[in-house]
Parts: sequence; structure tokens; C-alpha cells
Amino acid sequence: MRHKTFDAAGGVIAFAILALLPVIFSSGYLIGVLTVAAIYGIWAVSWDFMSGLTGRENFGHSLFIGVGAYAAGFLNTSFGFGPWWSLPAAMAVAVLFALLMGFPTLRLKGPYFALAMLSGAVIMQRLMLIFWEYTGGEEGISGIEPLLRSPLHFYWFVLAALAAVTLLLVLLARSKWGLILRAIRGDEATCLAAGINITFYKIASLAISAAFAGLGGALYAHYQLQVSPQLFAVVTSITIITMVYVGGMASIYGAVGGALLLTLMTELLRDFGEWRLMIYSLILIAILFFLPNGFIAPAWRSLRERLSSASPSNRRKTPAAAQSHAIGGSATGRETA
Amino acid sequence: MSLLTVKELDKRFGGLHAVRKVSIEVSPGEIVGILGPNGAGKTTLYNLITGFIPADGGEILFDGHSLRGLAPHRIVGMGMARTFQLCRPFVGMSVLENVLVGSLGPRVPAGDLEQRARGLLADVGLQDKEQVPAEQLSYGDQRRLEIARALATEPLLLLLDEPFAGLGSGEIAELSALIRRLHADKGLTILLIEHKLREFMKLVSRVVAIDFGAVIACGTPEQIVAHPAVIEAYIGKQEEEHAA
Repeated sequence: MRHKTFDAAGGVIAFAILALLPVIFSSGYLIGVLTVAAIYGIWAVSWDFMSGLTGRENFGHSLFIGVGAYAAGFLNTSFGFGPWWSLPAAMAVAVLFALLMGFPTLRLKGPYFALAMLSGAVIMQRLMLIFWEYTGGEEGISGIEPLLRSPLHFYWFVLAALAAVTLLLVLLARSKWGLILRAIRGDEATCLAAGINITFYKIASLAISAAFAGLGGALYAHYQLQVSPQLFAVVTSITIITMVYVGGMASIYGAVGGALLLTLMTELLRDFGEWRLMIYSLILIAILFFLPNGFIAPAWRSLRERLSSASPSNRRKTPAAAQSHAIGGSATGRETA
Repeated sequence: MSLLTVKELDKRFGGLHAVRKVSIEVSPGEIVGILGPNGAGKTTLYNLITGFIPADGGEILFDGHSLRGLAPHRIVGMGMARTFQLCRPFVGMSVLENVLVGSLGPRVPAGDLEQRARGLLADVGLQDKEQVPAEQLSYGDQRRLEIARALATEPLLLLLDEPFAGLGSGEIAELSALIRRLHADKGLTILLIEHKLREFMKLVSRVVAIDFGAVIACGTPEQIVAHPAVIEAYIGKQEEEHAA
């Protein structure tokens, strides 16, 4: 399919620009902003994979981020493991929490999952304070070693991780697995009638989502060189959800764009001082009001459409495909076409 | 040996005794109809047989195996597929994708699943609409899609829940011809719930009549329409049927 060629080219160009930006401008500040943006990108794509595709909104993604970051912190400081051990350990711990949360709540219909995830994150944040003797309380754990000495190298590593995670999740979302997750979003009873074990797919996709959230948490811990209970904050989860909405739900790659856009916007608005949060919120409301399907993924789709109709080898388009595009149904439907 | 044996199946919802010791046998290759007025417990019976809700008592044997405690997707994996009375397509997905979701189970032979799904869409007459979002189909076409999705699981037994409900007479005739064709060409065993009597009686070889959750009569369509208990349960209904 030509779409795949355009998507691959678009992805490579986007990541090449991101990799080269700090070389061109050679600013330590920019490297820092981009590193945080890339980590948010990992969190956003991992959220979108489970919640965007299945429609089961996870309001406590920060739970997985937090346990991943603390796992990295404990392992590196208290147990003296090398910093690279953090990455697999954080993923494993986050998966464990995903199974603990998923088994009781994902079998239920209704808002239980969203509420349980929200409470899980809040409870963990409190526990970090209650067991302050072990967790360092409000201060958290500090003295975590960096993964790489050079901030630029670390940024490139995070960017590579983001690219790998995005590629993997995009491929999964476009496979049979993604078809099933979108079907779960469509109608759970019909999934059962189609012979699909929906509980397995929901829990497994939450575990995959959690693994990468935990990975991002560990990367964040080794970037900040400390972890604190703030990592579990509800506002982190909400920020990630907003990034996915701006990126375009269930597209996966859109979430990367949403994370970059919102992180950069936060930084660019710093000059506005106390007005910053208000302007930021107004822009967000405007985006979500005028573009209910998000911004990045729909923009890419229409650009891709224009590019592929401009290229001579792809003049003929099936009327059905053109029609489904013109109708502009839900954003999720057309992605695998 | 019968393909489906339902023995003394029982279900209560609080004070409502929805299904009372219902026994049904379906042999391979039959089209059996379940007849009953609204609220007689027909859909509950389907939900029990397909594992969507657990039974309080009784037993279900399918293809020689007990279905006790099996999850719905496992029962589909054994070769029993169902449709819903109210069509429930996967919203946000194309017609083709809707059928593809049905072909991911263990019974489906390996091969080109898309090609197979297109074949099924052609069987039900939706071949020109494979890229249309499922929720934009007409009601009659959604019914066909439900059937294609159920067929995609490669069933031995197909349970249709009021396939004619909400359809016009032209659509009913077409759908009824489709069901007959599936039965003849694929050798599919079919269990059918309906209360649109005219088409139903032409389609089925045997009828089980249900009222207030219990079997009130069994027999050929001719025997059933002459059965006193059925006439009593249906007397008001048949009037409506003629008026419609």
C-alpha cells in the first residue's frame, strides 16, 4: 500500500528532524525540552495503544509511570544495580501492576476501570508519603545515576526508544491485534459472539501499555536523577490524555505529535508568565472544540491524501475509499484501510 | 446423534422465572424454529445456550460436549455462532473489518482471511459495501452483516435471534432466501427465533413453542399452528400479524 510508504517516509523525516534539532541549535535548554517531550511521547503512545484503541479510558497512567520510576530509583540507589537494569525492571514492575489492576476491573462494564486506575495512582502517591522511611517521602529518592553522561546522547537514546515503541505499537495496532482492540471499542458483546476472548485482550493490551509507561518512567528517573511522589500525580495522567486527544485518538503516531506539540507549547508560553496556563488552556479548548478528532493524525491523513493523489502512479482511487473519506466517520475506522 | 441437546434448562431473574425446565433437541442439518410471544423467554434461552448468562439448572450438550461454565468465546470456538436481535455491528469499522473480526477464531482454516471475508460478504450480498462504515448500513444490510460475521466463525450451528424484526416484506423475502441458501449450500444447522409467522413457518422443519419460559408445544409447523396451547398463547398476536 502506498499509505505505508508515506507513513514510513513521514516517520523517518520527523524523527530525523527531531534528532538533528539540538545539533543545529546546539542549546542545552532545547535538549532538555526535547528529552522531556520524547518521554511524554512514550507515555502518550502507550496510553493510546490501550485506551485509544479499546475506548477504555485509563485515568491513572501515572501509576505505571510512577512505579516504573521508583523501581528504577530503588534498584539504582538502594540495591546498587547499574542504571541499565532499570529499564527492564521498570517494565516488569509496571506489567505486574497492570495485571493487578486489570484482572479485577477490566472484566467489569462501565466506568470501574477508569475509576480504579485513578484511585490506584492516588493511593500509590499517598503510600509513597506514608512509608516515607523507605521511599524518602515528599523528597523521594535522589542520587540516581544517569544512563549516559552526555545529555545529547541521552536525548538520542530516548528518541530512539520513542521511535522503537511507536513503530512497534503502530504495527501492533495495524495487525489482527489492533483489529480486535478496535472491535472491543465497537461492541464487547459482538466480540464475544465473534469468538474473541475480550478479557485476555484488554488485560494484555493494558500490560503492554503499562510496560512502556514504566519504561518512560525509568527514563524520566534517569533524566531527573531523582524521583518523587509527584510522578503519580493525577495531573500527569490528564496531561497525557490531553496529548493523545490533540494528537488524534487511536492513531498511535498522532500521540507522539500531540506530546511534542503540547510540551513545546508549554515552553514557548513561558514568556507570558502568570498568563501562561490560561493561554495554554484556551488554545487546548480551541483545538478540542474545533477539531474533535484531534489535530496531528487528521492533518497527516489529509496531507498523505494530497501527496498520494499528486503522485502519478496513484491516480486511480476506489470510489468506496473516496466515499468513506468524504463521509469522515470516526477517526479510528480508516486507519488500517 | 443430536448436535444440540438442551436438558431441563432453568433460569430465574429474582422473582421472574424466565426459563422453566426447557428441553430442546436439534439434529444436524435441521432448521428448528423457536416460537413464542414477546417476553416468553426466547432471547434469554439464547443467552443461556451461548453462554452469555449462566443457567441456574439443567444441561446443554453441543456436539457431544457439555457447555457448562464455558465463556461465550469458547462456545463460539466449538462451532456455535449467534446473531443479535438488535444489530450490533462494530461501530467505527468497515463492513469488511466487521467480518474479519469474526474470522480470528480457532475454527477458521488458515489462509487469506480477507479473501475469505469477501467471499462471505458475497454470500450475503454485501460485496459492494465492504469499505462502508458498518453503522451506515441500512437495517436489512446490518442483518446480513450480522449473519456474515457469524458465518465467519465457521459455525456448525447458527442461532438467529429474530432475523426479520424491523424489516420490510421485500427484505424479509430476500433474507429468508439467504437463510434457505445457507442451509442448502453449507449444510448449516440453524436455530431460529421469530414471531413473524408467515415466513418463519415456511422456513423451519420443526417448531418449539414457548410461553412464560416453558415449552408448550413441539412439532411440525402444521401441527404447531393447530395446537390448542399455541393458539391460546398467540390468539392476540395473530390478529396483529394479519393487520401488519
